[in-house]
Amino acid sequence: MKSFSRLVYPYIIWSFLLVLLPLILIALYAIVEGGSGIITFKFTLNNFIRFFKDPIFIEVLLRSLNIAFITTIICILIGYPAAYIIAGFNDRSQKISILLITLPMLINMLVRTYAWRGILLISDFNPEIKVFIGMVYNFLPFMILQIYTSLTKMDPKLVVAAQDLGCDKKEAFLRVTFPLSIPGIISGITLVFLPAVSSFFIPKLLGGGSFVVIGNLIESYFVTAGNWNFGSAISIIMTIVILISMYFTRRFDYNKEVR
Amino acid sequence: MKKLLSILVILLVVVGCGSKENISTTENSCQILNVYNWGEYIGEDVIAKFEDEYKVKVNYSLFDSNEAMYTKIMSGSLYDIIIPSDYTVERLINEKYLLKLNKDLIPSYSLLDKQTLNRDFDPNNDYSIPYFWGNIGIVYNSAVIDQKDVESQGWEVLRNPKYSGKIYMYDSERDSFMVAFKALGYSMNTEDENQINEAYNWLQELHNTMKPAYVTDEAIDGLINNEKEMGFMYSGDAATITAANPNMKFFVPANQGTNYWLDAMVIPANSKCPELAHKFIDFMLRNENAYDNSLTVGYTSSNAEVVKELSETEFKGNDAYLPKPMGDKDEVFKFNEVLKEKLSELWIKVKNQ
Repeated sequence: MKSFSRLVYPYIIWSFLLVLLPLILIALYAIVEGGSGIITFKFTLNNFIRFFKDPIFIEVLLRSLNIAFITTIICILIGYPAAYIIAGFNDRSQKISILLITLPMLINMLVRTYAWRGILLISDFNPEIKVFIGMVYNFLPFMILQIYTSLTKMDPKLVVAAQDLGCDKKEAFLRVTFPLSIPGIISGITLVFLPAVSSFFIPKLLGGGSFVVIGNLIESYFVTAGNWNFGSAISIIMTIVILISMYFTRRFDYNKEVR
Repeated sequence: MKKLLSILVILLVVVGCGSKENISTTENSCQILNVYNWGEYIGEDVIAKFEDEYKVKVNYSLFDSNEAMYTKIMSGSLYDIIIPSDYTVERLINEKYLLKLNKDLIPSYSLLDKQTLNRDFDPNNDYSIPYFWGNIGIVYNSAVIDQKDVESQGWEVLRNPKYSGKIYMYDSERDSFMVAFKALGYSMNTEDENQINEAYNWLQELHNTMKPAYVTDEAIDGLINNEKEMGFMYSGDAATITAANPNMKFFVPANQGTNYWLDAMVIPANSKCPELAHKFIDFMLRNENAYDNSLTVGYTSSNAEVVKELSETEFKGNDAYLPKPMGDKDEVFKFNEVLKEKLSELWIKVKNQ
């Protein structure tokens, strides 16, 4: 068994190069000022102070969190019943339904969002609703698949036992099925909330350009304004917000399991 | 810990070897030319023809803004040909990023339109060879938008509440602030705090009363299909729109002034194939290729003969194809680092109220 542990080395190299190193660079950029030359750097916290002093940046941050939050809620509300219904099908229908849900994911997200642009062009929705439609459409499959997996992993005898012990259908669902599927919901939330909070092309394409979220903000500081330091500071702030929200969802999960 | 260290050492060795190898393969042969150009900014078979003629391969990459291009090259990407706009050429010259051109290697230089040469940002064209040029004006649907309004109000028509909900704004702080500065009668290169604030308010009010859609290239199709009825556009895009939809008209507010721009071909000083790059520039200027490029994208060629021919045939009567000569109020963008960042922050605020 020990010899297999060497297999993990490529992964360590991989995550060092592609995860840790960029993060260190971003953190470094965020706390220095002056051009892109590393040699001339001077430590500062001004980039962070600037962010929190300006109500417009806070507003953008809150808007991003708000969009991600509502998207996640809608995904649960649509995704749970969908997953529940699919889990009740016979084997063949289950396979087909899951295939149908995953099928669109084979097409690039950008292409699908462009398609929605065309579809929504004829509608009179305000930009906010268009963004929500695009977000829910793109992230819903992650939610359905997670909940579906946790529902099918469950031993069906548990529900039968609950009914034997006097639960009606509704009670059996509320007291057995639903609590046991919560880990699925939690991982669904992680998979939907995280990409939703950092998504920038869906609001950009569907929001008519006037709908700025934190991802757009970072993009414009890196690309158009050319201020990598401030752009990095915003990225770090977003990373911290994401870590905090992840911590709370995990904690919630943990508490449930202990009980 | 030791393990981690050895991994790091291996990693460094691997990375080190990789980069060494790269240099040795590119040094001794010029089989590949790396070209970095705007999207939809070249004739359809021009690259293929160049590859056939010189038996090389062209690696053709695209950018959608000068700033994005600048970020890319500054992060270390190597190119042999880049086609930036005037103010970015100026910036790259200042930063000593460009190769001084050898005009003996560019015989078609003589074909260039005199009015595209010797502009302030590169007085003797030592570093840049003009490619396309033009100005910026208002494109509007004459069936919906009153021509008299456009011609009497100029840039201000973009804030005429009669047309609320019907306009596109170009999602670029540089171009939007240019319009605001010109509407207010200021220079678009101003650094005056008060003038910048006034322009900011001008755009804010536009945002509030007109509810514009902020887009970039999508506006071309959008105006052709009458999704919106008005917007300000680069002359070449306007030529495409007015050619495709006869209701669409182009107007440049000459008494207020506009951005008189020029995009030019340059060779970075770190190019591995400067000679081949010179050949590429020469190739692009030749009559047949310049004709092909200009006809395909609708932008005004730097080749005098091509402009003459196309404005008499394919683009006959198309105001946008042949911009009027530079007027008193027209200006060329100057590069200004401080202004750039200030405007891009204000632009975020304009879109975010």
